[in-house]
Amino acid sequence: MFSAMDISTSAMVAQRTRINVITSNIANISTTRNEAGEAQPYQPKFVVFQTDDSVGQALGAAGVKVTSVETANVEPQWRYEPGHPDAIKEGPRRGYVAYPNIDLTTEFVDALEATRAYEANIGAMEISKDLANQTLRILA
Amino acid sequence: MIPSLFSGSAIPVLEQVASFTEARHNILAGNIANLDTPGYQVRDLSEQGFQARLRAALAARDSAAKAAASGVSPGAISNLLPPGASLLPPPTAVAPVTSLETVNDNLADLLHHDGNNVSLEKQVAEMAKNQLRHNLALTIMTAQFRTLEAAISERA
Repeated sequence: MFSAMDISTSAMVAQRTRINVITSNIANISTTRNEAGEAQPYQPKFVVFQTDDSVGQALGAAGVKVTSVETANVEPQWRYEPGHPDAIKEGPRRGYVAYPNIDLTTEFVDALEATRAYEANIGAMEISKDLANQTLRILA
Repeated sequence: MIPSLFSGSAIPVLEQVASFTEARHNILAGNIANLDTPGYQVRDLSEQGFQARLRAALAARDSAAKAAASGVSPGAISNLLPPGASLLPPPTAVAPVTSLETVNDNLADLLHHDGNNVSLEKQVAEMAKNQLRHNLALTIMTAQFRTLEAAISERA
């Protein structure tokens, strides 16, 4: 009876994780250093979803889970800023700073999609709850 | 007469279900309250454990009623059972179930870097399910009381 709610819940958790990762990408759009403070541009992250059979075993329905949060390996955006402390000191890229290569349009569209998916799952959960309540009304 | 009037029906069972769902609601509320507490691990009352104990208690009640019925006139059954005897036996009578589950090594939930593994969506969904179970028990209980009332007042 309640497996539909478990499935919607798993999807909501997954979509919220996705939104967290997207906000992390947007927040770090100008980050030129890593956690240790070394000059290394932030690489965009993305989540990998996987069907989860352990949720809602009833009738072949499956939930979803986040398998992993992966880090992309893309060429950074090079900007000429010789005065920047993270600028390359020698070589052909002298004076250039490596900025994260994050496409804002992609990130915002992804965020919008994740939000709508989250809302859709809330809607499905409302319907599941309504079904259970309607069943109760037979008795009352 | 009066004890058997209530204990012979499903009302004591429903009462246990209602009190269990109430206790579980408190635990789930505690989980949501500790959404941002570092190191907090999700707590829950075992639904399966409760069901198993309830089933065992019901089986014990039925077998007690059967033993009392054999060799004794039917009218004496209610006298043999003291008030409350058919309710749930003391918890030690059945296989011990760890009532407060800590899901320590459970990878079903995301474990955050602060050691917290509470998932708001999951807790809210559990709360909604728990509420539905509570409502189910109370609705059936109301229907049973209405039936009894109809019998007492001799009208349908």
